[in-house]
Amino acid sequence: MFKIADRHHGSLGSSDHAAALLEDLQFTLGEGPCIDAYEAGRSVSVPDLDDAAAHRWPALVPALIDTGIRAVFAFPLQLGTIRLGALDLHCGQPGDLRTQQYDDARIVAEVVTHALLELQAGTATGALAPELERAETLRIEVHQASGMVAAQLGVGVGEALVRLRAHAYAEGRPVDDVARDVIARKLRIE
Amino acid sequence: MPQRDALLAQTFVDIADTLVADFDVLDYLSVLTGRCVDLFDLSEAGIMLADTPGALHVAASSSERMGLLELFELQHDEGPCLECYRTGGQVACDDLAGASARWPVFAPEAMRAGFGSVFAVPLRLRDQIIGSLNLLRHQANDLAPSDLLIAQALADVATIGILQHRAADESRLLTEQLQYALNSRVVIEQAKGVVSEHTGRDMPDAFAALRSYAREHNARLVDVAEAVAARTLPAHAVVAGKPRHPPRR
Repeated sequence: MFKIADRHHGSLGSSDHAAALLEDLQFTLGEGPCIDAYEAGRSVSVPDLDDAAAHRWPALVPALIDTGIRAVFAFPLQLGTIRLGALDLHCGQPGDLRTQQYDDARIVAEVVTHALLELQAGTATGALAPELERAETLRIEVHQASGMVAAQLGVGVGEALVRLRAHAYAEGRPVDDVARDVIARKLRIE
Repeated sequence: MPQRDALLAQTFVDIADTLVADFDVLDYLSVLTGRCVDLFDLSEAGIMLADTPGALHVAASSSERMGLLELFELQHDEGPCLECYRTGGQVACDDLAGASARWPVFAPEAMRAGFGSVFAVPLRLRDQIIGSLNLLRHQANDLAPSDLLIAQALADVATIGILQHRAADESRLLTEQLQYALNSRVVIEQAKGVVSEHTGRDMPDAFAALRSYAREHNARLVDVAEAVAARTLPAHAVVAGKPRHPPRR
């Protein structure tokens, strides 16, 4: 699920027919694990859709069970206040994710978040790899600079981060460096 | 030392007070680091958390000075916090001048920042280590065993706060709570940028303004930060009428 400025843009990609259906149904009915994960900023785990806890989506759950989905897990794609959407996982059997699977899914969500921001910044595919390697260690300065640029340009923090990265890419400098210049007020991003 | 005992008692009373509804985890951790500085006669303190195994990030600091935050963030790759996190044991270095072999990047950086000694105690839940409480001093001297004991107690209390009284039988819940805390930290950094740009305040002042506003309006720090970053709460409203350097609680 991918959202820009609170408008649900539908799915960015699905692994199979059931996954595509999961996205479509949530989009149509306006409820579901992806939407909850996105709005709450926390992962949502429903190991058994037959469970009482699943009745939070009264329209969605019967439809999902009909298509053969018995468990769903959603992970928000977020970076602080920047929210891009959510990553949905589903299973045809009831059962929880193992700890390793859960950790892996969270890491994938993080990598996808950074990849989406990179793509929006217009970086070439070849340039993605080093940034993604450092995805976990995005520096404090970058977050602060994102806030400053957002205020300077009157845009959302997500767009501000994209512009910072685009600027860094265009100049061939690490985004941390550009962020430091912004904070030191040596640089204003246009 | 009756004065220190009184402060310690007050600290635990205050902590008990904060462990109620509308709990504000980042403000809580921030207060904890401030209290550590007062209790142990330190120069600075910080709390690092790991939501992903092996990846330590700053969650709270006794000061929002950029240099200090960077020094904590450095420990993502090497340093007393990482050592503490990996071994699950306390780490003590009473003279950083002799620690260049142990921490070839961190030791010189810490000394450049004016620190002479450093200590770290683990944040632990049963057999899981979730982070570390980092204590820094300008002077190169030891931390008394009784102080380390109390620091460990405060670290344990920090862990409880992060878990918000919920039964943490599943490591899943713990991970979610840690992620929430660290993501909230990012929100606050983003909000600091917005406040700084709109008001001309520096980053530590911006943080102080956000925190004061949250307390005065009985709101959570992360919620105020979220509103400022989303621009539903104007930065000028947050700094209006507040002293430039509010006293630390």
